[in-house]
Amino acid sequence: MIPQTFEYSAPATLAEALHMIDVEGDRKLLAGGMSLIPLMKLRLAQPGHLVDLGRVAGLTGIEAGGGKIRIGAMATHHDVETSAVVRANCPLLGETVGSIGDPQVRHRGTIGGSIAHADPAADYPAALLALEAQIRVVAAHRERTIAAEDFFMDAFTTPLEADEIVVEVLAPIEDSKEGYRYEKVAHPASGFAVVGIAARIQKTGGKITMARIGVTGLGSHAFRAHNAEALLEGGADVDAAAAVVGEGIDANSDLYASAEYRLHLARVHAARALRTALSRAE
Amino acid sequence: MKVAGSYSLPVPVERAYALLQDPDALAKCIPGCEGLDRVAEDDYAMRMKMGIASISGRFDGKVRISEKNPPVSFRMSVEGAGKIGFMKGDGVISLAAADSGSNVQFDGDVQVGGTIANVGQRLIETTAKMIIKRFFDCLAQNCLPTGPP
Repeated sequence: MIPQTFEYSAPATLAEALHMIDVEGDRKLLAGGMSLIPLMKLRLAQPGHLVDLGRVAGLTGIEAGGGKIRIGAMATHHDVETSAVVRANCPLLGETVGSIGDPQVRHRGTIGGSIAHADPAADYPAALLALEAQIRVVAAHRERTIAAEDFFMDAFTTPLEADEIVVEVLAPIEDSKEGYRYEKVAHPASGFAVVGIAARIQKTGGKITMARIGVTGLGSHAFRAHNAEALLEGGADVDAAAAVVGEGIDANSDLYASAEYRLHLARVHAARALRTALSRAE
Repeated sequence: MKVAGSYSLPVPVERAYALLQDPDALAKCIPGCEGLDRVAEDDYAMRMKMGIASISGRFDGKVRISEKNPPVSFRMSVEGAGKIGFMKGDGVISLAAADSGSNVQFDGDVQVGGTIANVGQRLIETTAKMIIKRFFDCLAQNCLPTGPP
């Protein structure tokens, strides 16, 4: 449990950090370290040089404005969970983040680190997909904003280039009348989602006018259940919509949950998430 | 664990069969392959560098092809070991003609052991499927007819 020797830098500004990773070589960014540090201790990961973002100023703020909330990449899960701004404007995100890991993980782990790692069973992606959030990434001489749906490409695979850093997550402010819910079956050992469903519902006079469903844990990456969303918006009931979640997806399987069981869990919990979201919508 | 799946390649079965045993095509498309050398008629030595998430490790391995029944099926056995663990896989690859070219089906058994398996059990199967999919996507991209055969 002792990592291989590595160089360590702790830049104080984003420009300095960008400069440090804008070179050839075996460099790795360190955010909260909740995935990277254990992998290094097991020597499964052996980066030659760690660039710690922990002291970079200006990456932890959470604020609302212009119809969006902006969450700095180094905001911890605890920061997001307890933020009054998140609670008031993006309650789905607050509910989701409260189910990540345990209090120790939530106090160290960060939103930027989690999404850049792109674990296929992480909780954040489900909510970010349902919220149609965007991820802003910066390199030394360029920057871009990537839609969540284009960001989670495959297991541990994102469009991030080696010289880019995730700087913030932008999520549209939720309508105050909309209903939301994050339903999760947590893996008993790791706390990761065996399946996790983030749902948002808007309705007018009993009719669903907008449905968004983000699914994590089921496939090789988190995805939106567009088919179920379309059924709901077309007037189908919750059970009919939940029954098509994961259609066409090659479901994950491990010692804890087979593919069939996982798909079943996803549909049962999609129905639960949608019911709760529906009951919360005005 | 069982690994099975089917992929389509946009070429006739004879061509697909040859491609799946062509060391150059395999070396190009096996994710992380750093070298594939023929050591005997149907035996190859392979060097791979896997890099998924922050995990990375080198593997040295062997690939053996047997039970050749062109152009319908063959058996492929792969073995590899490195500092972070070892893997052993064995499966039958069968080909059938399809409208779009050929349909490749594989059905095999993969065992993964060592540190990587002890801590990564939750994700091994997902990752294995992803790697196999990348392999076939790459083959499909590299075997598109680009002129006279």
